[in-house]
Amino acid sequence: MHTTLKIYSLAVLLALWFGLSFVFSEHVLPGPLPVFAAIWDNLQSGDGFFHLYKTVSRVVFGLVLAMFLGTGFGLVMGLSRKGEKFFESWVMIGLTIPAVVYAIICLLWFGLNDFAAVIAIGVTAFPAVAINMWQGVKDIDMQLIAMGKAFQLPKTDLIRKIVLPQTVPYILAATRYALGISWKIATTVELIGMSSGVGYMLHYWFGLFSMTQVLAWTLSFILVLLFIEYVLINPFEKRATAWRPAVQV
Amino acid sequence: MANISVQNLVKKFDRANDKPLEVIGGLTFAVEDGEFVSILGPSGCGKSTLLSILAGLEPLSGGEIRVDGRPFQRDANAAKLGFVFQQPRLLNWRSVRRNVMLPLERGTFSKEEQQRLAGRYLDLVRLNGFEDYFPLQLSGGMQQRVAIARALVVEPDVLLMDEPFSSLDEINARKMRAELIRIWQETKKTVIFVTHDISEAVYLSNRLLVVTERPTRVFDTVEIDVRYPRDYDDDRLFELTKKVSRIFLRMEERHGH
Repeated sequence: MHTTLKIYSLAVLLALWFGLSFVFSEHVLPGPLPVFAAIWDNLQSGDGFFHLYKTVSRVVFGLVLAMFLGTGFGLVMGLSRKGEKFFESWVMIGLTIPAVVYAIICLLWFGLNDFAAVIAIGVTAFPAVAINMWQGVKDIDMQLIAMGKAFQLPKTDLIRKIVLPQTVPYILAATRYALGISWKIATTVELIGMSSGVGYMLHYWFGLFSMTQVLAWTLSFILVLLFIEYVLINPFEKRATAWRPAVQV
Repeated sequence: MANISVQNLVKKFDRANDKPLEVIGGLTFAVEDGEFVSILGPSGCGKSTLLSILAGLEPLSGGEIRVDGRPFQRDANAAKLGFVFQQPRLLNWRSVRRNVMLPLERGTFSKEEQQRLAGRYLDLVRLNGFEDYFPLQLSGGMQQRVAIARALVVEPDVLLMDEPFSSLDEINARKMRAELIRIWQETKKTVIFVTHDISEAVYLSNRLLVVTERPTRVFDTVEIDVRYPRDYDDDRLFELTKKVSRIFLRMEERHGH
């Protein structure tokens, strides 16, 4: 039922695009057919895979860094009042700095390389993860902690067996959010200072005024993200929340 | 197995701009080895605080608790305590079996021993066949049985229960009380049972302590000298329930209501 609706909604979007492409010239809005043909060509040449791979690997490493930093800060802020007061302003400042500033700073500091890209992605995405985890830890059922203490569980067990499992839904939400941010900052970094990746290709085709290729590269990456969501995150979520009885509406 | 003596226990909570709030004001009682004692008091008195102190979650402000004659401490060598709370407090993401195994995981038991012990106590609370269920797939009464199995699996010297049946409907609560008496007779545990339900306390206990509102003290003690297993319709229990109700009324008058 839900899958049919999803397919239907995508089909409507595609049809809308197809229809509008007749209204505008191909420099403004090329239709789905030339765009998919361009994607096919890019992949045939092997170049396509290389640039997608570069961006995906930067996003993945950046995401891991963001999750690592964000979970650490989020746990400290959620578990200790002092930690919350101390790091709250850090996270807020981190959140307000525009992503492009992180990109520029990292490129200036570390040079035009993958390391700079990963650091920029990780640092940009981590405040959002930290906020999610912080809220998640604060929503933890304190009665369960009291239960664990009454049964004299050591502190490591309290965190590992009672605190962390309750934060799984928040970790998943944070991962999704960070994934979206990471891909945006990755393209920005690549556009400014890299000679590979989807952002670089967008920059290249922007220089040649090829709307078809700009859309082709954007769409390629959207497909990759959809793949990550439906093939990796979704099944994990289903398994991790199997204990929750299905909600019947 | 253990006996407990509480001598002149005082618990005060510090308040920001006020004198400390005295929740327990000199509580004295003793529980014999293997005895089932209820602590019966109005809602909002220091009953749960008393259990938190016994759980080692709260320090006491004055007085003394002795278990088997030794000053009470919650460390590895001390008497083992099992807890059942008002709500089941299960880990919903763990199976029933793994919930019961939780308190054993810090110890020296192998996985197989943990599973065997969990299985034994799940049998005792009559949940065999439900080991692989998740808590949210069970009814409230069954969840509370899991909680009782989890309290028993540590093979405690004393079982501490904090209004464990108050969130169940009366029919299920009655079933659970009868089950609890059966389990208590099979395991010979010392039980301290906190409740505000007079007929529940009368039905379950060897002896019940009627305690006052804050600051909590023992107001009266009632022996329930009726053989187990008891019948809800037993006239003697009914008379005792009326007697305890009168004690409650007298206590309310004395404490200015």
